[in-house]
Amino acid sequence: MSPRHHLDETTVLGWASGALSPEMAAVAATHLDVCRHCRSRLATAEGIGGTLLEQQQPSTDDAMRMPHLREHMLAALDAHPNRRVPPRREEATAGPDNLPRALHPYFGTSWRSLRWRWLAPGVRMIRALRTSGHALILLRIDPGMSMPLHSHGGIELTQVLAGSYDDELGHFGVGDAADLGPETLHRPVTSAGGPCVCVAALDAPLRFPGWFARMLQPLVGL
Amino acid sequence: MNIRTLPIGVSPFDQTRAMSSSGAHPTEDAGYWSWQMAAVSERRDRDSFMRIYDHFAPRVRLYLRGLGSTESQAEELAQEALLRLWQRADRFDAMRGSVSTWLFRIARNLHIDRVRREPLWQSIGEEWIDEDIPPANTTERHVEQTDLAARIDTLPAVQARLLRMSYFEAKSHQEIADELVMPLGTVKSHLRRAFLKLQSGLKEFP
Repeated sequence: MSPRHHLDETTVLGWASGALSPEMAAVAATHLDVCRHCRSRLATAEGIGGTLLEQQQPSTDDAMRMPHLREHMLAALDAHPNRRVPPRREEATAGPDNLPRALHPYFGTSWRSLRWRWLAPGVRMIRALRTSGHALILLRIDPGMSMPLHSHGGIELTQVLAGSYDDELGHFGVGDAADLGPETLHRPVTSAGGPCVCVAALDAPLRFPGWFARMLQPLVGL
Repeated sequence: MNIRTLPIGVSPFDQTRAMSSSGAHPTEDAGYWSWQMAAVSERRDRDSFMRIYDHFAPRVRLYLRGLGSTESQAEELAQEALLRLWQRADRFDAMRGSVSTWLFRIARNLHIDRVRREPLWQSIGEEWIDEDIPPANTTERHVEQTDLAARIDTLPAVQARLLRMSYFEAKSHQEIADELVMPLGTVKSHLRRAFLKLQSGLKEFP
């Protein structure tokens, strides 16, 4: 899979510096898991972190603590010889029924056990419960549906998990990320074929300009 | 004179000057640590490891305190990060990154896992790195790291400041915007420009 729509630079930097909310990080991880290009950019962003770490200048207080901590470290070296640790990869990512691993804490591991909630004709949703304040939702939209025109109060980070859609920004298929800021106004239309399933993290309510969409807003609760 | 022999308490600015005036080439520095790391990995060389420890442990502690770890958490997590470097030395590959980047990544993940309690971070980043980055010429990597350091020094002050706030305080871009009374869009475009500038010239992995 080679995604054509990627994470914004600020999202890559946010991941590297640990500044993303858990919900944004979960969606970003879902993209990073399938996107070599963004993993490569992440390696650069982490290289920046390493360089900044190295450039720091510890204080004298730190030096005072050193002998004590150093002794502990030397003792730990004896207690922990080098060991070979096989790379960890969760098996759960493999099967066709498995949700992307970064979403497991929020939606469980299985596609089949998802309990979709009817939202509007052709639109189903699941909203993650235990979140830090940002919303995290799974959306399942029937083929050929036109979503209301909307913009975002803040950031909307969406990853396409199945199917595809088109909007003013282009065609978004499986693996693509839509990393949208408040300036984006768009009207996604799902493609023919299967339903389009996306996971999205939002840090502020969506803004619907139309009256129909405004009526919908309390139902969506976003 | 190089960075390791500087008197304690020298500011980063003085340090940069001291380094450039001494004529020490920082490329040798990145190479020096990788060389020490190779000795740890191949021969379990304790002296080499303790050289790495003495240089990096205080820096990792400082970084963790900036993220919001308490003094004792920072000490504990820094010890753990360094111990992990010792234990997994065989997985450290000088051709796939520098010691400082490796430690940065471990320390960040430990902090988010233990202090912020977000379990997603335990293993995720490490695995991506192992799989993805093709081995390159080691000298090339050190030159890249050196380039990066030089490029950070040439960033406009505001970009450098935002970058440091983001990395060393793990502040969200919105929090940075609030603190500096700057529109979020402006914060993001500064950071985006900084990243692109730092990235340009570095070799893109396929």
